[in-house]
Amino acid sequence: MTGVTLSRWTMSYFALAVLCLLGAQALMALGFGYPAADVAAPETLLLVHLVAVGWLSLLMCGALFQFVPVLVARPIHSNGLALPTLACLVAGLALLLFGFLQLAGGAGPAWSLLPWGGGLLALGFALALWNLGCTLWAARPLALPSRFVTAGLASLAATALLGFTFTLVFGGVSSAQPLVALTAQGVPLHIVAGFGGWLTFTAMGVSYRLLAMFMLAPELDGASTRWAFRLGVAALAVAIIGGTLIVWLGARPGWMLLAAGLLGLAALGLYGRDIVQLYKRRKRRVIELNSRMASVALVNLAAAALLGIVLVGTGTLGDHSGALLFLVAFGWLSGLGLAKLYKIVAFLTWLECYGPVLGKVDAPRVQDLVVEPRAVRFFIFYYAAMWVGTLALLAGAPLLFRAGAVGMLLATGAIAAELVRTRRLADVRGAVRLPEGARQPRLLVSMVRQG
Amino acid sequence: MSEAAADEELADGVMAALRRVIDPELGYNIVDLGLVYRVEIDKGTVHVVMTTTTRGCPATDYLRDGATDAVDSALGVESVTVELTYDPPWTPEMMSQKAKEHLGIGDGGW
Repeated sequence: MTGVTLSRWTMSYFALAVLCLLGAQALMALGFGYPAADVAAPETLLLVHLVAVGWLSLLMCGALFQFVPVLVARPIHSNGLALPTLACLVAGLALLLFGFLQLAGGAGPAWSLLPWGGGLLALGFALALWNLGCTLWAARPLALPSRFVTAGLASLAATALLGFTFTLVFGGVSSAQPLVALTAQGVPLHIVAGFGGWLTFTAMGVSYRLLAMFMLAPELDGASTRWAFRLGVAALAVAIIGGTLIVWLGARPGWMLLAAGLLGLAALGLYGRDIVQLYKRRKRRVIELNSRMASVALVNLAAAALLGIVLVGTGTLGDHSGALLFLVAFGWLSGLGLAKLYKIVAFLTWLECYGPVLGKVDAPRVQDLVVEPRAVRFFIFYYAAMWVGTLALLAGAPLLFRAGAVGMLLATGAIAAELVRTRRLADVRGAVRLPEGARQPRLLVSMVRQG
Repeated sequence: MSEAAADEELADGVMAALRRVIDPELGYNIVDLGLVYRVEIDKGTVHVVMTTTTRGCPATDYLRDGATDAVDSALGVESVTVELTYDPPWTPEMMSQKAKEHLGIGDGGW
């Protein structure tokens, strides 16, 4: 085998991720967590981690197991590690969420579940980092998109370590002063490392390659992209490393985070310029739904950057940090995630079902597995509901926020149903649906051809 | 029939067979997409040099095997080898005019 193979468990990662997203949206619709509860309340922490770990991190890990090999044109270091990684992440997340419920006064054992959850999550992420890190290491020297992903993975390590530290302190396992200081002051560092470094920076790297691939645009590796990378890495280093050192010196990391924010804004500006170039220089005039909906997510990222500037400038970031985080998580990251999921599921399903019979029988195109005119309505509805939710948070209107969450839940459910239809080949018509030699894909596990 | 005429006839059959193989992402045959760089024929022995739209594409092995199976099924082919190359890398400019029109390929812009 000279090419990259299918990852057997990627669909399982995707399915569990979408379930977590639906669960989080249902909880928001029911009024669980922020804004009904305080932004730092255990209920809100449960909700945030269900989204950040359950939805976004499982989605990103599943996608990276498939697409880091594409980025570096080498096989994944270990196909066998994907399942134990998933088991650790899911078990760790479940324990963490129950640990937050304990903090909220719910029932449970006398001892805290948080350190167990944090430990299992750290182990799961360590396995993912080892697997992806070895794959990237073997492919040096790395092209720019892979370097973005590498920096994102380093941020994941920092996020997981900070999170594990918090669980040790909250769970009463450790009262060591450096860990207590980090727990008291380091939550913003955890958020920046997670949402800014792991999720956003990795998504930026992947988007450089995927958008170029799907739109037939020239790949970018010019000065603008190099500086976007350098400034982004500098921003993350200042926030995470500088912030940690400042906390250990006994100060608050506010100024360090402001400096990192300015560097990050410059990186985002260059990234935005690059992405506009990718869309402008594309060879495919008519682009597919995934690229169109990814462009809306990118506009949401720009809107989040602008909102951040306005909130810092008016001194109201503390009042509206929940709205900003909501826009980043659901407008940018989830929007991009759902858009790319719509494409990736169809592409991987095609490879699994029709790849083995290619050249032997007539096969449909990847585009024949989906019905874009039907799905576009659900994406538009999702984004509209997401903006209702964001504006409701900014305006302090909790009932309107719950209405927005209901809309997002319905739209996400409809998109999830589209993904299931794609796996079931439900929209492929005629004799090409299951030609001789082709096998109906399973919903959650890919049948991998071994070389 | 002369040897050259036989090879020419075989070449037509091989190209027709390769046109049955589609790139899944673009949904068009690999010949008109410009993914087949060279076809060498020596009596019944066929050697195909081809590429993929992206290095590391998960469809690479399927495309290579599909091309092998398709050529192998052409009348008069005794053996076939398919070689992958990324030198030169594929660009959309390599598509035939027919493929460009089918896919709406242009020079970019909104």
